Order: sequence, then C-alpha cells, then structure tokens
Amino acid sequence: MTAPAPLPAARPAPGTLRRAVRLLDVDPRRAALAVLLGTLALGSAVALAAVSAWLIARASQMPPVLELSVATVAVRAFGIGRGVMRYLERLVSHDIALRGMAHLRATLYERLAAGSPQTLLAVRRGDLLARVGADVDAVGDVVVRGLLPAAVALTLGTGTTVAMALFWPPAGLALGVCLLAAGVLAPWLTARGARTAEARGVQARARMSATSLGVLDDAGPLAVSGRLGGELDALRAADADLARAADAGARPAALAAAVGQLAVGAAVVAALVTGVPAVGAGLVSPVELAVVVLTPLAAFEATSLLPAAAVQLQRSRAAAARVLALLDAPGSAPAPTSGPRPAAAAVDLPTPGRRPVLVATGLACGWPGRPPALRDVDLTLAPGGRLAVVGPSGEGKTTLLLTLAGLLPPVAGSVTLDGVPLSTAGPGRVVGDVVMTGEDAHVFGTSVLENLRVARGDVTPAEATDALRRVGLGPWLAGLPDGLDTLVGSDARTVSGGERRRLLLARALLSDAPLLLVDEPAEHLDAATADAVLHELWHAPATRQGTARGVLVVSHRLGPLAAADEVLWLTDGRVAARGTHAHLVAHVPDYGEAVQSEQQETS
Amino acid sequence: MKPLDPRLLRYARSARGYLALTVGLGLVTGALVVAQALLLAHALGSAVAEGASLAQVAPLVGWLVLVVVLRALTAAVQERYAHRAATRAVAQLRERVVAHAAAVGPRRAAPGDPAGLVTLATRGLEALEPYFVRYLPQLVLAATLTPATLCVVLGLDWVSAVIIAVTVPLVPVFMWLVGVMTQGRSERGLATMQRLASQVLDLLAGLTTLRAFGRERGPVARVRELGDAHRRATMGTLRIAFLSGMVLELLTTLSVALVAVGIGLRLVYGEIDLVTGLAVLVLAPEVFLPLRQVGAHFHASTDGVAAADRAFAVLEVPVPEAGTRPAPDLAHGAVRARGVAVRSRGGWAPAPVDVDLVPGRVVALVGPSGAGKSTTVEVLLGLLAPDAGRVTLVAADGTATDLADVDLHDYWRQVTWLPQRPVLEPGTLAEVLGAATPDERDRAAALTGLDAVVASLPDGWSTVLGSGGTGLSVGQRQRLALTRALLRPSPVVVLDEPTAHLDAAGEQVVLATLDALRAAGCAVLLVAHRASLASRADDVVHVASTPDAVTTGAGAPTGDPGAPR
Repeated sequence: MTAPAPLPAARPAPGTLRRAVRLLDVDPRRAALAVLLGTLALGSAVALAAVSAWLIARASQMPPVLELSVATVAVRAFGIGRGVMRYLERLVSHDIALRGMAHLRATLYERLAAGSPQTLLAVRRGDLLARVGADVDAVGDVVVRGLLPAAVALTLGTGTTVAMALFWPPAGLALGVCLLAAGVLAPWLTARGARTAEARGVQARARMSATSLGVLDDAGPLAVSGRLGGELDALRAADADLARAADAGARPAALAAAVGQLAVGAAVVAALVTGVPAVGAGLVSPVELAVVVLTPLAAFEATSLLPAAAVQLQRSRAAAARVLALLDAPGSAPAPTSGPRPAAAAVDLPTPGRRPVLVATGLACGWPGRPPALRDVDLTLAPGGRLAVVGPSGEGKTTLLLTLAGLLPPVAGSVTLDGVPLSTAGPGRVVGDVVMTGEDAHVFGTSVLENLRVARGDVTPAEATDALRRVGLGPWLAGLPDGLDTLVGSDARTVSGGERRRLLLARALLSDAPLLLVDEPAEHLDAATADAVLHELWHAPATRQGTARGVLVVSHRLGPLAAADEVLWLTDGRVAARGTHAHLVAHVPDYGEAVQSEQQETS
Repeated sequence: MKPLDPRLLRYARSARGYLALTVGLGLVTGALVVAQALLLAHALGSAVAEGASLAQVAPLVGWLVLVVVLRALTAAVQERYAHRAATRAVAQLRERVVAHAAAVGPRRAAPGDPAGLVTLATRGLEALEPYFVRYLPQLVLAATLTPATLCVVLGLDWVSAVIIAVTVPLVPVFMWLVGVMTQGRSERGLATMQRLASQVLDLLAGLTTLRAFGRERGPVARVRELGDAHRRATMGTLRIAFLSGMVLELLTTLSVALVAVGIGLRLVYGEIDLVTGLAVLVLAPEVFLPLRQVGAHFHASTDGVAAADRAFAVLEVPVPEAGTRPAPDLAHGAVRARGVAVRSRGGWAPAPVDVDLVPGRVVALVGPSGAGKSTTVEVLLGLLAPDAGRVTLVAADGTATDLADVDLHDYWRQVTWLPQRPVLEPGTLAEVLGAATPDERDRAAALTGLDAVVASLPDGWSTVLGSGGTGLSVGQRQRLALTRALLRPSPVVVLDEPTAHLDAAGEQVVLATLDALRAAGCAVLLVAHRASLASRADDVVHVASTPDAVTTGAGAPTGDPGAPR
C-alpha cells in the first residue's frame, strides 16, 4: 500500500511559493495593517535613536529647558510605542497566518474529498498528516517570518534613508547602500549557505537516518553477529560527512554575519566622515550631525531579521511544493467543466430494495504504474452471496478489494455494477451499493456512536448497540464508562487491535449498501472469536430496505470458510483454485495442509 | 533543562570547545562594543561641541574603522564555528544515544516508544542547532557583554548606570510575573489548540474511510469551523504569550529613553559633558541587547532542549555490567535455561520456562503470539536479563557458567541467529554468502532453494544487495540467511519463525535445512508457529504468558517433561 507519492523535485519550480501563498487567501488590508504596525514598532526604535541624538546634542548647547520639552516627551513616547506597536503587529500577523492556514487546510480537504481516490491511497498516512500539518504550518510561517518582515524592512529602510538624506544627502545615500547590503546581500548569502549544507548533506543525512534506524531496529541481531561496531562506525562516518556539509554551508553564513555587522559600522563611519567637513562648511548643523551619525546604529534592526527570513522562505518553498503536489496530483481536482459532483451523486442514489450485482471479468489489478499484483480474476457478488478470498500475504488481496470498490481503476479486464463499468457508474452510485472496510480503515477521535454513524448519519443508539453485539462487542460496550458516548482516541489508540477490527465491522454492517467487501475481519482475534465474527458476517442481516447482504471476505482463518458459497485460493498472482471449502480441502494439497495446521494450533 | 545543562557538555564533547570559544568571543565583543562607543562619542563629541575638522578626528575615525572590522570578524568567526559545533555536538549526542540504546536494548532505552527513539536520534536532536547557533551565544553575551557595558556606564555616569541597573533585574522579574499570571490560561489554550488541530488531521486521516461510505462531503464545513475555532483559540493564547515579549521591550526601550532624557536634562545644566553623554547613549541599548536576544531565541531553542532532555534520559539508563569469563566450547557443551521468566505489562511473558540446547538436537519453542517466544530467545542469547531464573553455559566437563558472567562476544561467536527479518550486510550475493568454493555453495543453495532465487535474478550471484538486504523479498532473504547458516554451521543456531514468509514448498526447504543442521551437530533452537515445523523437533517447549505475578517455578507451565537433562 505504498505507491510512490509524486515527490517534489530537489529545487521546487519557480512560482511554487507564490502559488501556495495565494492559496492562503491573505486579506490585503490586514497585511497592510501588519506592515504598518511593524514599521511603526521598529520605526519607534529608529526615531528614539534620532530624537535622543538630537536631544543630547542640542542640550549640550545649553538652550532653555522648555525648548527640549517636546523632544523629552517624544523620546518617552517612542520608548513606549515600540513595545506596544510590536505587540499589536505580532497579533495581526499571526492572525493573518492562522486564517491562511485554516483556509489552505479546508481547501486541501475539499479538493482531496472531491478528487480521485487514488491520490489519497497513494500518499502514506504519515506523509499525508505531515503535509496537512507541518507543511501547511510552514507555508503559513512564511507570512509571519518571511514576507511581513521583508515588507517592514523595505518600508522602514526607505523611510529612514529618505529622512537621513533630507538632513545630509551623502549620509542618506551611504545608509541606503549599507541597508541594501545588510538586507539583500546578507540574506542571500545565508540562504545560499543553508542550501549548500542541505544539498551536500542530503545523501549523508539519508545514510545517517538509515543506519540509525537499522541499529535501533536490529540491535540484537547485529550484536550477536558481531556487526554492531561496524554499523556504529558507519553512523560516525555519515555524521562526519554531514559535519563537512554543514561546514561548507557555514562559510557563506559567516560571510553574511560579517556583512551584517560591517554594514552598521560602515553607515556610521560614512556619516561621520562626510558629515564632519559638512559641519565645517556650514552645510549641516552640529546637532544634525549627531542625528545622522547615531541614527544608523538603530536602523539595522529590521534588516537583521532578514537572513532568518530568507532561510524560512526556502524551507517554506519546499513545504509548499509538497502541499501543491497533493493538489496537483492527477485527478485530485475535478475538471471545472464537469459540473458539481454532489448533484450527480444525488441523481445516482440507489433506489431502495435494489439488488445490485458486482461482476469482475478477466480482472487484473494493481497500483497504477506497477506490474499488476493479481491477474485473471472472475467473480460475481450478488445480494445473499458469500465469497472468500484466501492466499499468502502479498498476493494483492487488498488491491483486489480496492479495485472492486472502485477506488483503484482495473489494470485490465472490467468491474461492472449491474452491467455498468464502475468508472462510469458515478461515485455516489458505487458507494451506495458497495462498501469496503479495509484493514486500515480509520477510527475517528470521537464517540463510539459517532464512529458508527460514519456508515450512515441516522444510526440510532439501539441500532448501534445491536450491531456491536453482533460482532461480539456486547461485553466491551457494557464495560465502557459512558457506553456509546465513550470517546475513543484518535486512530483508536484506546481500543485493542481486535476491538478496532470489530468496531469497523459493526460500522460496515450498519451501512445501507447491500454488498460488503471486508478485509481480514478476524485479524488480531483469538481463534474462537475470529470464527464467531466470521460466522456473524456470513449471516449479516439484510439492509433496512430488505435486500439480503452479499459479502466478500479476505481472511486468513480458513475453518469458517466452510459456510462460503465459493473460496478463491490465490497463489503467484492468480486464482490457483476455486470452489467450496470442502472441494478445496479435498483437491488442493496446500489448502488442505493449511486447514490442518490451523486445526492443530486451535486444538 | 537549565539554560546551560552541564550534561550537554559532558555528553557532547565538541560543545566544550565551542562554549570556550563563545565565551572568548563574547569578551572580545564586549571590549569592541565599549571601544566603539567611546571612539564614536569622542569623534562626534569633538565635532559637535568644538567643531573639530576631519583631520582632527581622523585618528579616532581610523581606530573606529579598525573596531568595526574586528567586530565583523568576530561575528564571522562566531557564526562559522557555531554551525560546525552544532553539527558535531548533535552528531556526538546521536552516536551516544544510538550506541547506548543498542547496548541496553532499545526496549529498555525507551520503554513503550521504540519508534520515538528513532525520531529522537534522527530529527529530534537536529532541533538543537538553533540552541547552539543562536541561543547559547546570546546567553553567553548576556553574561559577559551586559555586565561589562554596565560597568563602563557606571564609570562614565552613575545616574544612568542606576537607571539601567534597576531595569535589568526587572526584566526577568516581570517576565516571570507575566508567565505565572498567564500560565493557567495559556496551558488551557494550548490544550484546546492541540485538540482542534488534531481533529482536523483526524478528519483528513479518515478521508478514505469517509469516502468508502460516500460521506466525504459533510465534513468540509466542519473542517472550516475547526480551523476558525483553532485560530480563535490560538489567538487567545498568543495575546497572553506575547505579553511577556511586550513587557521585555517596554522595560528595555523605556529605560533607554529615560537614560537619554536624563542625560539631556543634565547636559543643559552642565552637570555632564557631551562626550560622556554620547558614550552612555550609545552603550545603553547594548546593555539590553543580549537580554532581548535571549528572549527572542528562547522559543526557537525549546524543541532542541526538550530533545536533549530525552536524550539524557536514554543515556542515563544503566548498562548492565558485561561479563568477562570466556564462554565454553558449545560444540561439546550446552545452553541451559531454568525457570526463566520476564516481566511484561501486568504479568509474565514468558512465565517460567526451561530450555536445553545440546549439540545435534532441535528444540522447538511453541505457544500463542505474545506468549514470549522471541523474548525467550533474547534471554537465551544474553540480550535480555531474565527477571527470574537463570541461563548457564555448560562445558563438556559439566562446569556451568552463568551467562551473566560470560563475555557475550565470546558466546556470540558460536551462535548463528536468524531473526524473523534477517539482517544482512550490503554486498553481492556471493560476498554475503561467503562460501569457500562454488561447489559447496551450489550444494547448500540447492538444499535451501536459494538456487531458484539466484536463477531468477538477472545478475545471479553478482546481484548487489543494499543494506538490510534490499533487492530481495523477505522470503528470499530468509533463504539466503538459511544458506549461510548451513555453510558456516555454528555450535548454536537459532531460527525465529523461519517459515513465516514462505509457502508450502518453502517450508519443505526449511525442514531439509533443519535436518542438515542437526546432522552437522548443531544445537538448534526453533521458534515455530506451524505445527508441521514443530513436529520435526526433538523436543518441544511450550511457552506461555501468565496475566499476573507468579512465584518462580511454581504452577507455571515449564519445559516439556521429556526434555533431556
């Protein structure tokens, strides 16, 4: 079940981040407000430095104290303004990012829900959660840590440069050049360093991860075979390579740090060197000189955040590529011309009391782009029918169920529902008639009842209790603190493997679909319970509309298959034998032996 | 973890040199900051007050340029070595954690969370990088630059020094106060945030399931609502969390503003000269800068600090003392377990069990899954100390040595272990097998069915296997490992469910291998699920778990009564 997910290329395509940020649907007014507040906050710091310089230089000329009163008030006001404005700016910018992330997540959910099932099946669960969780966060972070700081630095840098140029143009010019060095060159160097370290370290990092995993997974066997020392040496070697990669990336980063520091000093020295003769020439007053020399000391705070912003930009770009890959996967978005699907689904809803028949003819199934796991399968599942599929693990049994449920397209041959191929039958129609419960079906982090209502929104508590009893969960339900309202943890960590399987089975039994495809309902159960659960499944109650259930079961327990109409025995990617249980026991040696060894174990 | 945990320096040696360098550079930075302020104040002061010409201030400007260049150099050196030291320190911690976990057994190193251990070793510790690169240098500067500049200010103008000195301790006090007052609320907020976020992820994780029932459209609105609720909850928490940042900024900036106003007013009355005033004005923000930076980088470093804490917890799990006595020759000896039992959640798995491994006999361990068959194997191999009973190695002359006292490497040299998922080193098939002659190799391969596997591979015996045997299926790897066991028979051979991934024909191969190993005089221990496999054994030992504590050896199922003594 791990079809290769479309991996983003090492360097995401240009425009990736722009597209992802557009998906955040940022309100321009809020963004403008955040930039304004951020500029006012850091501008307060610059203004504080400038007014303090003016105050002290003017005071040294011993004017009447009243002349200084405006400046003393302004200094205190800027002192307070900085903290308050910064606080407001952080709130507004985080609000923007959070709104964007929520919007992006909802869009992702919507598109994935409407898109082709393969997209979801092709992404490993952990990977999906990472993309919707951490990666969306990283795209949102770019607003707070990347774009807004850059906008603030640009506004403030321009403002400060112009202000200084009004006092003394050469000083303003020097400040502008130095701000560019600190705000463009240093971030560029830092980002380059991070990229170098990342690119050079990719292989070493993979080796490091694989070796760590190998040692921690197989510590015992490695120790016994005397190879633990060698593996630890390999880990050390991979780490040494990683360190070399980090060293390579540290050089541009060190240069960036020097540029940032040098820029401040250069701006101050330039103002001093050009300003002192200008005072002599009467072009600049002594007080103004103090202002143009001391203000640059505070003017670089905004640009000092930009190297980190550049690295964040890069990280977010990689995350954006992974998020977009989910949206761009083939078939993940319905073509705009195909019209709204819910309407189609409503039209396709099955009429009550229907007797749908699912037929597979010459079916080959497998993951797209891979050789088929299973070929030449013919089967018919009608209401009241009982089919079983057995065979060694890895024979493509789960793939078969996915194909029969219309979640994977057939590689060859066809699957039809009442004579109509699944691909043209419309998804609403298929799920109305055929429901698959897979090994990895999800138990939601909500109450037991709500979990059962996934099958059908109007399940009553009485129906739920009845279904749980049928699958042998009566005692379990009685033992729950809040009965049907007991919360089960996300992915059911609070229920055991066997309980989880039976809960999923109860859910399937509550659906209105006449045809059930069930994957390994008896796994994680002891032999007696497993047999009881399978027995219950063979005698599943009719749907509310009165249609008898047709059941197809994938099972590793063979004993209970005596009740099946037909058993398909898979070997080497084909149906090696088929017939009733008794027939297979008598005529297929492998099957007979497996049944025998199962009986010995049970006894 | 404390701001600077001594354990970090103990376990990550390269962090020591880095810390020393950072302290050294911190002192240099302090000196340069003071020099820059004084030079600037003198140059500017003389130009503003006395209208000094450029030629007059040129020497000062020259020194100023030198100081600026040196500050840039210091920053570059700090940055250059910060990355290097961070990578090395993380690597050292990782190696220690992995080696230590391997020595004590991952199960003991991280009880209940072996997967978490892998995450910690690979990604978790990487989060220490911001700690080393950003946080630690600022922490050092707060300890060097802040007091140094404050002392200089005191020397220049005691009034300003008092204003600053009063504010500096207020910074931690107010941040602590804000923290205490908001803790309850923000913890509740955090819990809400996490719950809402996990609900959205839960809906996404279950999308395939919802789709299977045709109910995937309903939750779209719910996802939007949850996202909105998550934002509101987060903003509620942030409004409070950012308060401490605001207090920090307010206090420090206001303090600088007060210093500036104070200097200005005293200048008017000639109580202070311009150069001193300018120097203090330039120095005042520098006193607070490291404190503000520590606050800013604190959050970025918390993940790494938490990871380091978990790593220390792993490293502090004691390693069992290694035995030193040589292992007896097991080709003529025996491995004997008596009443061996291991505690598991709420009981024993296995409950006391006796096992005897003697040359030329096959012993099968049978029992339901979870009974402790694999645990018994680990105890017999000395990888896990039993909680009850003992394992001894018996020499040909009958002297028994406790396995705990034996040099395990000496013992393991005489053992071949095929775990359920065989671990193979990388190399070509022929290299991994390491047969003396092709003839010998072909005979063994024919017996285990490896010849058929090799025939199906385009490169045959030259097929290159990746680490862990990638390139072969688990069943094929098992055949390869079996062949190797056959080619180099050890006195003790342990086969853990050798037929788990094989079909009926594969099982025949294992049975044939079993007979060959017995004939070669090996003592074979077999973990068997299938009855057909167990029926080939000379002795069958039933392993069972018991739900609650039992007294050692009493009433619990023990080894097969027919087992040889």
